[in-house]
Amino acid sequence: MLSSEQILELLRSSFTELFEIDPARVVPAARLGEDLEIDSIDAVDLIERVRRVIGRKVSPEDFRSVRTVGDLVTAIERLQKG
Amino acid sequence: MIKAISYYWRLFATGLCFAVFGLGAVFFGMVVFPIMRIVPGSPGAHRRRVRATFRVYMRSFVGLMSAVGVLSYAFDGAERLGRPGQIILANHPSLIDVVFLIGFTPQTTCIVKEALFHNPITRWPVSAAGYVSNTSTHSMVERASQALQDGENVIVFPEGTRTTPGQPMQFHRGAASIAVRAAAVVTPVFIRCVPTTLAKCMRWYQIPDRRVRISFQVGRDIDLAPFRQTPVPIGSRAFNTHLLKVFADELKVPAGNPTAGGDVFETETGTEAGAFRTGDNAGRFN
Repeated sequence: MLSSEQILELLRSSFTELFEIDPARVVPAARLGEDLEIDSIDAVDLIERVRRVIGRKVSPEDFRSVRTVGDLVTAIERLQKG
Repeated sequence: MIKAISYYWRLFATGLCFAVFGLGAVFFGMVVFPIMRIVPGSPGAHRRRVRATFRVYMRSFVGLMSAVGVLSYAFDGAERLGRPGQIILANHPSLIDVVFLIGFTPQTTCIVKEALFHNPITRWPVSAAGYVSNTSTHSMVERASQALQDGENVIVFPEGTRTTPGQPMQFHRGAASIAVRAAAVVTPVFIRCVPTTLAKCMRWYQIPDRRVRISFQVGRDIDLAPFRQTPVPIGSRAFNTHLLKVFADELKVPAGNPTAGGDVFETETGTEAGAFRTGDNAGRFN
């Protein structure tokens, strides 16, 4: 089970690797669409990455209300609790 | 005088073609395909038969349009369409592009706009043929990639919708992403349609003053290797830019800026109100 700090750290490295986003910009308040310019096509890759990290199946439905990096961390925490 | 006769004949013939198309789609969807479903065979075998039948129908429809003088056409390089794992990327000047592409490509999987699954005329054939809807980016990318990995060929219009005449060409990244992710072969098809007919902003009866000439040119395969050195999001951005340049150069039209692909986490049922940008149809396909 990953702590929220570990999840954020993982997101930072994933965002850098997948989207070439400066890790310093990946903060809880950053909005995925407006601030980080992640679009729905990027989200497909992001969801795949999350799936691999937490080792269980996830669907776009699990991220329905996700808006910011912080929301994403919360959603992943919830998912790994099952 | 002759010009007027030609005009009214083509107007009548265009209406006739639309009527035949609609009646044909309903006939195939409600009579032919359900009967074919009774024929024994696996779901895969069934879908192959539906696609083969549909292709013959589209091909005959091309013959009809040509015979009644609505248009003349050339299709150059059709023998290179329909290879396993091939993604076929075409510009989209007119409503009838897809009729030709389906008619000339064996066993193709098409990405079509969601509305065609609800349209009373088209819903039966598109679902029987197992076409991929653009409902959500996630399921579209996954299903189209799966089809390519299963060795099917997939037709996508990277513009996402018909070309708006006079506007710079723009490609949504979904097509590039699917290609980088899963395609064995990428083949561009350059479509030229003169004069413009059945474009996005036109009604069926707004026919041009002379017979339409539409040509299809199957281009050289595009090598994906350089775009697979990096993760898909980066590779697909680079590939999309390259692809747009290939089309803009060949068709001698200006290339627009890359566009974003819509809501971040859109779902089959749509995003929650206020959670994300809404009304943004970018990244969708038809």
